[in-house]
Formats: sequence, structure tokens, C-alpha cells
Amino acid sequence: MKLNIDGLLVYFPYDYIYPEQFSYMLELKRTLDAKGHGVLEMPSGTGKTISLLSLIVAYQRVFPLDVTKLIYCSRTVPEIEKVVEELRKLMEFYTKQTGETNKFLALALSSRKNLCIHPEVSSLRFGKEVDGKCHSLTASYIRAQRHSNPNQPVCRFYEEFDAVGRQVPLPAGIYNLDDLKNFGRRKGWCPYYLARYAILHANIVVYSYHYLLDPKIADLVSKELAKTSVVVFDEAHNIDNVCIDSMSVNITRRTLDRCQANVDTLQNTIQKIKETDAAKLKEEYRRLVEGLKEANVARETDVYLANPVLPDEILQEAVPGTIRTADHFVGFLRRFLEYLKSRLRVQHVVQTSTPQFLKDIFDKVCIDRKPLRFCAERLQSLLRTLEIADIADFSAVTLISSFATLVSTYSQGFTIIIEPFEDRTPTIANPVLHFSCMDPSIAIKPVFQRFQSVIITSGTLSPLDIYPRILDFRPVTMASFTMTLARTCLCPLIVGRGNDQVALSSKFETREDFAVIRNYGNLLLEMSAVVPDGIVAFFTSYVYMENIVASWYEQGILENIQRNKLIFIETPDAAETSMALEKYQEACENGRGAILLSVARGKVSEGIDFVHHFGRAVIMFGVPYVYTQSRILKARLEYLRDQFQIRENDFLTFDAMRHAAQCVGRAIRGKTDYGLMIFADKRYARADKRGKLPRWIQEHINDGSLNLTVDETVQLSKHFLRQMAQPFRQEDQLGLSLLTLEQLESEEMLQKITQIAHQT
Amino acid sequence: MDDKGCPRCKTTKYRNPSLKLMVNVCGHTLCENCVEMLFVRGSGNCVQCDTPLRKSSFRVQLFEDPTVDKEVEIRKKVLKIYNKRDVDFPSLRDYNDYLEQVEDIVFNLTNNIDVDNTKLRMEQYQRENRDNIQRNKAKLTREQEELEELLLLEQRDNEQRRLDVLQEEQRQLQAKRKNKQALLDELEQSKLPATLLLAQHKVRAAQLETQIEQQKQVVKPTNLFSTGIHMRQTVSLQPVPKIEEVLYHYKPLEIEICGPPVPELEQLGRLGYLNHVRAAMPQDTAGGYTSALACHRAIQDAFSGLFPQRG
Repeated sequence: MKLNIDGLLVYFPYDYIYPEQFSYMLELKRTLDAKGHGVLEMPSGTGKTISLLSLIVAYQRVFPLDVTKLIYCSRTVPEIEKVVEELRKLMEFYTKQTGETNKFLALALSSRKNLCIHPEVSSLRFGKEVDGKCHSLTASYIRAQRHSNPNQPVCRFYEEFDAVGRQVPLPAGIYNLDDLKNFGRRKGWCPYYLARYAILHANIVVYSYHYLLDPKIADLVSKELAKTSVVVFDEAHNIDNVCIDSMSVNITRRTLDRCQANVDTLQNTIQKIKETDAAKLKEEYRRLVEGLKEANVARETDVYLANPVLPDEILQEAVPGTIRTADHFVGFLRRFLEYLKSRLRVQHVVQTSTPQFLKDIFDKVCIDRKPLRFCAERLQSLLRTLEIADIADFSAVTLISSFATLVSTYSQGFTIIIEPFEDRTPTIANPVLHFSCMDPSIAIKPVFQRFQSVIITSGTLSPLDIYPRILDFRPVTMASFTMTLARTCLCPLIVGRGNDQVALSSKFETREDFAVIRNYGNLLLEMSAVVPDGIVAFFTSYVYMENIVASWYEQGILENIQRNKLIFIETPDAAETSMALEKYQEACENGRGAILLSVARGKVSEGIDFVHHFGRAVIMFGVPYVYTQSRILKARLEYLRDQFQIRENDFLTFDAMRHAAQCVGRAIRGKTDYGLMIFADKRYARADKRGKLPRWIQEHINDGSLNLTVDETVQLSKHFLRQMAQPFRQEDQLGLSLLTLEQLESEEMLQKITQIAHQT
Repeated sequence: MDDKGCPRCKTTKYRNPSLKLMVNVCGHTLCENCVEMLFVRGSGNCVQCDTPLRKSSFRVQLFEDPTVDKEVEIRKKVLKIYNKRDVDFPSLRDYNDYLEQVEDIVFNLTNNIDVDNTKLRMEQYQRENRDNIQRNKAKLTREQEELEELLLLEQRDNEQRRLDVLQEEQRQLQAKRKNKQALLDELEQSKLPATLLLAQHKVRAAQLETQIEQQKQVVKPTNLFSTGIHMRQTVSLQPVPKIEEVLYHYKPLEIEICGPPVPELEQLGRLGYLNHVRAAMPQDTAGGYTSALACHRAIQDAFSGLFPQRG
């Protein structure tokens, strides 16, 4: 249908539309008009993606100069593929309606591992190996060597692309990863480099967060994207953690040992080159003296190790004289390494700030701040000069050098924590140096500054106002949308007590309590008897889950549950978990259903959807607080308090609740879906916790669903499930939660829609 | 580290946890006991390389690689002599060349390349730059200054925070004590029933608690001036670099229009040009617009390029 959004003609590829989608588009249009940033929360399963795409594409068509490009960032490859499919549907609709073939170019970009078509390279298992192997076939000096030595293996796909691919632009259309691969196979071009080249003139780019947020990758891939782009971060509820991870470095004893080996190899290679081809080193030296930057031409395959700091922090100077020659630089690395080793020899936890660290390093091994800042760049230059093909082996020394650059560049927002052992095994010495970023705004700041509109959106962003604070930006629109429902298809219940009136809670004091564990078991047992098909249960951590399951086994609860349903368990191992998931789904397809025991913050809680019968009930055992004794977390909390005036408790609760909401949100993936959401902890009933749940869940929690006992829960669930099991047709939704064009244009509906957005 | 041991007596860290390894200028290790034994007289030769050593110059080995210990030792010595700062050089390039030279010296000394010549070079340099070295001794490099500043700031912040917390606690304690005292006083003097008083006290105590809670939330005032400079900060007062350039001279603009001369702006009205253009509306004149401006521009436009270009 064709919609009129605030004067903009929007093609919407479906015959029906949800009222909140309309409202969402209105807000989005306002954000784009104002050329500002926005935070939008809309429940999962209400068609966020298609609303976003159809509005922005329409906007691009009408104002081609204002918005030239849409950069859509998602988390995982399946999600990226999903977005591209939606886009394809939209474009088909466009061609059908307007009758013309449009000139839109949209493509997905992923790592080499997902895009490589070279028979040998693509058969490797790990992404790192693929990158390394690819580099060893396509690096510019390898290709240069081929001129003199035709036996040197190179990648024919890249050669072909380099020869002709650049002149011919990618024909307009929608490309997902497989399309790119097929296109590449047909033409004999490397799909990865083709995609990287094509994003410069594509209208829509879909890729992962890291291509924008991780400075090492962003510098390579996203440097030349236009300012007039609109950036969308989908599923952005964890964006602060992504930012922090991209700027943090962890160094263990093993890293240092491997790094030592790397440095030795470097030294040997330097010696060898000195004997055979001293001119090369001289040439590099001359370049460094002149302070010349690497010429960027035809080097896209080389720039493998980019600077880890953000572009506006890079010093535009010549490399300092202390590390100009290769020998001196290797000596410098050695000293730095020995210093780190001596720092790792600690008996107790040490926490220092970056200035303290820099001062100490100067006192101990006479290393100034400036050469440290150039460490990453210098290493990059050296590796290129030495023509080291297999760069994957040098990951350790790369890591150390990026640590050096980071630590000397940023004096605020970072902390260094050295722990002699892991928390779980306090007797085994395993020293780790955490260089941890505490301020997510550092990594994301260039994105906000560079692009005119950045949209942060997810199903769970409550409370909305905390994101602008921790990411340090000023949005023009902040809105939370609810789900309009023809029937209340979600039923959040807060179970506070067992049948014997024992308070249920996962708090530390009662964690081992026999009565609590038994009551949790009873809850699951009773629910397994009344809920048809799948139940997903979330625990707060793997350790907690293990404890509880063990004691359920002893008490015979597991046996009773297994009379009703099969039980599957998520483990830290990815392969095992996907196996369990597969079998769980199989069990839900036929028979009495199954129970999946999993962990909040785990793989299942983040990316797996349990549509319809795969998840009829979600039980959240306890409040999923993070492990609060970790030093890194403590440092970050302190920083948040001092810099952003966010209290520790507020942040912890916020973090716990967003994960809880993520978990329970797994069950409802659309308006025809229905599911129970059981919060099994009495602390959920408190206003401070409840208030941090997304509004679309909060709305359905009334006083009657607080602090229930297990029996009451069973009664309510039975009632709810019986109601929901009645046939539900599309006609029932029409006019209420699903609108045709005529209904949408009626006066009263428009009025209603304006109320949906909950402005904050 | 456990497998590292003394090369002479073969004691390892594992067998003797209190083992202390020492290193001397030649970069070879010995354990503390061996040093005591071999260097009873205060001097002797290195077991591994026969360099004459003094007992007093033995240091505890800080790093796993003893050559690094040696290098750092040498480096410190060299840096004491070669202590020029970047401001002593006319350009960054010269400074970098100088740094590299220093690095060369350290490298040579550590790896025993051409030691005598290098030492000679150092001595010569020292003689030539004596006063410069003296002058720079107390001076820190700019980067170190910045670091010191940051450290100072950090220290002050920490101290401030500690004091704030302490004060806050004091205040709360006092408030609570006062509250308690008030209750006792009231119980003593008031004629109301004790239960009522107790209830009142409870309410008051709860209020106090909430107040304290709220105070905890109150944002502390920042210690920044609006310019971004920290209060009481020692701003490094470096002179603004002088830019030497030729000053700008104004020359009146001369345009070759290749046409008949255009009448002056003021004369347009007198010459009657303005009779043929639209008069300015009152809205237009608000911004300073006059019809003469537009007319003048149109005439300029029309006249220019009428004559063919000479040559």
C-alpha cells in the first residue's frame, strides 16, 4: 500500500499495517527531517525492520541529496540476511507499483570467511585463518613478486577483480551474501573486495556493528562513506558493550610468550633481509624519515592492521626517531614486552590509571609516550616491509602494539587492571592484564559526529534516557512504542513465593537455600504440566544452573518433569548448544513439547527466536545481575558515577532488567504469537525493577499479577492458555491492531496513532 | 619464571622461592649467594664473559631477559648526557635525527659494537654540551609535564572524593545522633503518650533516611571553568609560536571589463538609470537593499565584454 507519512509518499509492501508501524515511521521521518539522532524502542515482532527500510528508501527517493546512503548495522549474519530479504520484498513492490526498474543498489557485507569463493581459502574453518590466507595471496608485494616469479600463487579472483572489476560498477539490485558470491563466481571476481568497493556507491549497505564501531576495521572499510548517510543500529540494546569491547585489550601470559616468539621471528627476518635485500629496509627508513604516509593506491589488500585508535586521535607526524630503524624498533618492542612481563608478575590485584602506567613505564624502561603512540603504525610499516605473508601468526605482537598505542593515546576513560589469577580459581596463577575501556561514548563518538542521522533502535531499550547518557549524545527524538493488540497475547506474571510461602529469590544469601531451589523446581514442574509445547527457562548463570539442576536431580524433580516434557540444556560450548536447540525444536514439533534450560546473557537469550509453539512460556529464574565482584565492572561503575552521575545500583538494575527483558521477549515474535512470561523472583515486584522493563511488557503487569504463589500462577496460566488457544483469525485483528489503508486514513485512527508513541 | 635459575649453582626459583637473581653491567645473571661468594673482595670477573665487575654495581634482576636489564641501565646513563628536549631543535626532523643518534649509541653499547668509539663520541658530546646538559637536567619533557599534570589531577580528584565521602558520613552520623537525642528529650519533657512520640520519631527517622539517600544522588559540582580549564590547574605557559609571514597589503581592485565605463553607484539616479527599474519595496529596504544596487549590477553585467579583447 501507499502511505502518506507527513507529506512523504511511502511504499509499504504489505496490504496491512500495524498502527505502531505508522507511528514509528512518523517519528523516524521527523528525525530525518531534523538531521539529528534518534532512540526508538518498538517491541520485537511488530515489523521494525520493514518500517525502517520502507521509510528511509522513500526518503532517499524524494530527497536524494539529503540522504545519499543508508547504513544498516545488525549483529549477526542471519539477521543481516533477514534485512536483505525484507529489502528485496520492498524493491519488488516498488517495481510492481511504479512499473520502472529502479536503480537502487543494496548489498550486505560480511567477513572474508562468509564471502570467499577461493576453493582453498574458503575451506578453512576459522575467520582468522581465512583472513591470513587471503592476505598471503593478495598482498601487494606478493602480487609484485609474481611479476618476477610466475610460480608465486595468487588469488585469481582478486586478480580478475583488480583488472576489470573496478571499472564496471556493480549492476543495480539487491545482493545478499550468496548473491554476491554467485555474481563473483559468474564473473570470476572476488566477492569480498567487490562488496567493499561497491559500498562506496551503494544506496543501502547492511553490515555488522564492528564495521563502524571498531576503529581497526572502520578505518579500512567505512572511512569513505558520505556524511549524508543515515546510520541505523538495530538490536542496539547491547551497543555500549560492543563499543567497550572494541576498545579494550586483554593480555595474558600466553599472549606475551607468543609475542616474544613473534619478536624473535621479526629480528631473524630483519637479519635475513639485511643480508639479502638491504635496499628495502633503507627505502622504508627513508620514508619514515620523510614522514610520508603510505600511499593508499592499490593497497587495499595490505592494510590489514589498522591503527586501533579513532581517526581524530591519530598523530599526523613523522615517526619519532627512537623507533625509526628496524633494529631499534625491535629493541623497543623487547623492552616493552619485558616491562609487561614484569608487570604481570603480581601477587595481588593492581589497578592503575593510564597516566600512572605511562609514568611507571618511563621510570622502569625509559619508554616515552610518543614512540608508544606510534607503535601500531610502525609495526604495520615493518610487517609490510618485511613482506611477511602469513600475518595471522603475528596476532600477538599486533595486539601488544595496539595496546601500546591505545594506552598512550587516551588518558581518560580507561583503566588498567592486573589480576594474578581468575576469580574462579584463586589458587592457580594465571595473570591477566585488562586494559579496559569504561566509556562507551569514546568509540561511538566519531559515528555521531560524522553522520547526520544515527538511529538506535531495539525491542528493549528501556529506560530510554540512559542510552543518550552513557553514549553521550543528544537525540532529537526519543520514543517508545507499544504493541496494539486485539487480544492480550502476553501474560507477564511475577512469582514471589512458593506454595509454602517461602520467598523466591536468586539473591546471594538464599542461593543455596534448599527451600528456594525446591520451589523453583515445583514451579517448573507445575508449568510443564499445564503449558503445551515448548518452555524456555533462563537462569542467571551457568554455575547457578548447574547447582540447581544437580539438586533437582537429587530431589527427583527432574524425573517428574521428564514425565511431562523432555529437557535440554544450554552449555558454554556453541556446537553442543546448537545441537540441543535443534533437538529441542524437533521435540516441540512432535509430541508433548520440551523444556530448554538456558542462561541469560548466553547465546540462546540473545539471538534465538522461539516463535509460536517453540516458546509458549518463558520462565526467568532470578534476576540476571552481572557478576558484581569483577574489578572491571567495579571500575566501570565508578566511572559512570563520577562522569555521568549514574548510580551504581541504577546501572546494575538497568543492565539486569534489559537482559531479563531480552530473555522473556524471546517468546513473543508477532501479534499472532502468544506466550507466558514468568518472572520467578520476588524482587521483580519492586517498582525500581518493574519500572525498567520495556513499556510494552509493563503495561500488562497489573496488581493482580504481582507476588503470586506457584499455585496462583498455575491457575492464571491455565486461564490464559485456554483463552489464547481459541481460534484467532486475521479478521479479529483488522481495525484494531492491523489496518488496511482505508482504516488507517480514518480520522479517529490517526488520532489514536498519535498517542502510541510514548515520548520521553 | 620458575624455570629461571642461577647459571652457576643451578638453583631455580622453584627449588628456592626466595632466590634473588642479580645482574651487572655485562648483562649476565648470578644469584645472590653466588655474588656474595665470588665477590667477597668487592670485585672480580664475570663467570660467563670475563668482564671485570664490581660487587657494588650488582642490581636485582627486574626483567626475565637480563639483556634488557643491561640495556635499561645503559640507556639511563646515556639519557643523562643526551638530555636535549624537542624545543632545543629548530625542527621536528632534527629532533628525530638526534633521537635516532641516541638510540644508535644505546644499541651499540648494549650489543658491544664498536664500544670504544661510541664511548669516545659520548665523551666528546658531553664536553661540548656541558652547560646545555646542566640546564636540561631539571627540565622535564613536555609529554612528561603533561603526564605529571594528569597525575596531579587524578590525585586531587581522589583526595577530594575521599574527603567528600568522609564529610558526608560525618554529617549523616551527626544528624542521626541529633534525632536520637531529640527523641530522648521529648520523651522526658512532652506530655504526649510515648507510643505517639515513638511513632513520630520513626517517621522522622525515615525522612532523614530518604534525605540522605537523595543527597547521595545529588550531583557534585564540577571543578571545571567554562573554558574547560580545571580550577587550580597549573597551565603550562608556553609562548605562542610566532608566525613569520608577510603582512597583507590592501590594493584597490582593478577589473578590466572590456566595455564602456560603468557609471558610479551614486550617479545612477542623476543620470536617470533608475527610472527604468522597479522601485524597492519597503520590505526590501529593511535589509539595506536599494534599487540602485541591482541597477548597478545589471549595468555592469550588460557593459562588460562588449568590446572585443585586445590582442
